[in-house]
Amino acid sequence: MIVKIMLTFLKIGFWGFGGGYAMLSLIFEEAAKFGMTIDEFADLNALDVLIPGPIAINSATYVGQLYGGFLGALVATFAVSVPSLIFVPLFMRYEEKINSSRYLNAALTSVKAASVGLIFGVALSIMLATTFNISHLFDWQHINFDWLSFMMMAAAFVLHTRYEISPIVLTLLAGIVGWIAYFI
Amino acid sequence: MKKNLLLLRVYLLAGAFTFSGGMAMLPVIERELCNKYGLIDKESLYEYTTLSQTFPGVIALTNACFVGKKINGTIGMIFAGIGAILPAYILMSIASLLYQLIPQQGPILSALVAVRATSASFLFAAAYTIAKYNLKTKINILLSFFCFAFTALNLIGAPILILLSALIGVCIVHIRKDRK
Repeated sequence: MIVKIMLTFLKIGFWGFGGGYAMLSLIFEEAAKFGMTIDEFADLNALDVLIPGPIAINSATYVGQLYGGFLGALVATFAVSVPSLIFVPLFMRYEEKINSSRYLNAALTSVKAASVGLIFGVALSIMLATTFNISHLFDWQHINFDWLSFMMMAAAFVLHTRYEISPIVLTLLAGIVGWIAYFI
Repeated sequence: MKKNLLLLRVYLLAGAFTFSGGMAMLPVIERELCNKYGLIDKESLYEYTTLSQTFPGVIALTNACFVGKKINGTIGMIFAGIGAILPAYILMSIASLLYQLIPQQGPILSALVAVRATSASFLFAAAYTIAKYNLKTKINILLSFFCFAFTALNLIGAPILILLSALIGVCIVHIRKDRK
């Protein structure tokens, strides 16, 4: 398991262009192979909001901890860090050659565009799982609409994008509202 | 050694108090390393920041490695790198452990359900922000739409979509270059 976790996060690291949010779609797919549910992934996103630090590090630690305990978290965090430790010294040595590559820039621009679509895809999966309780887009028969989740999602989106309220505050508020809703 | 410990301290500090991704570390780094200690100039710091985004991996860590390497060679790179990831690693380990320990039932489950719903909206918001700054051509808009459609329909996995997108970007530049 530990070796599998290490290889997975090496792959995520080397494949992960465009930062933490872009990497999330890779983590979403790879962690599903370990048996991670959409709920657990949504909880990871909430913890990403609450815990300081780079999203990719937070995610690696969480997935590693869940499926490999203390050692799993350590190995996953280290593995996802490996690309930085390799590319920085390499670049410092061959600076000019890489800097002039317009192909690299073109590839990165496209990957950035792709990541927008990928993140929307992940967000949609979480939305379907939390508000409609289905795991697939065309699973219409089993829809079980959850009003509380839908209201929470809509409210958080508006408060975050329109009024720029911090996601930390909104996540904690959502937790409190959910807690109270249980007793109503 | 003094420089190494300083790098470690500055990155630990920056890593421990910045939320929602690594980019939020930058103002702290600028204040400490540029203004207070004068170890690196602002131009270099921001050049490395732009550069870090072109490499695969954790951007904030790549940036820390660049700065550390510039200031004090490979050993500086290691100290800055450890500083950048240690707070996130330790705090997230504790959080994950607690998360595994809490029973998911009753009011706790109800609170988690509400929290999970908000996490979808933050991802939508993140995607929207990236879209606002990066989707400037028709091809890129199409590309992101296809990537969304293929993942939403579970047709093609993310790694292959990323690779294909990179290839498409390279091909387009190549064709344009020939035309000129």
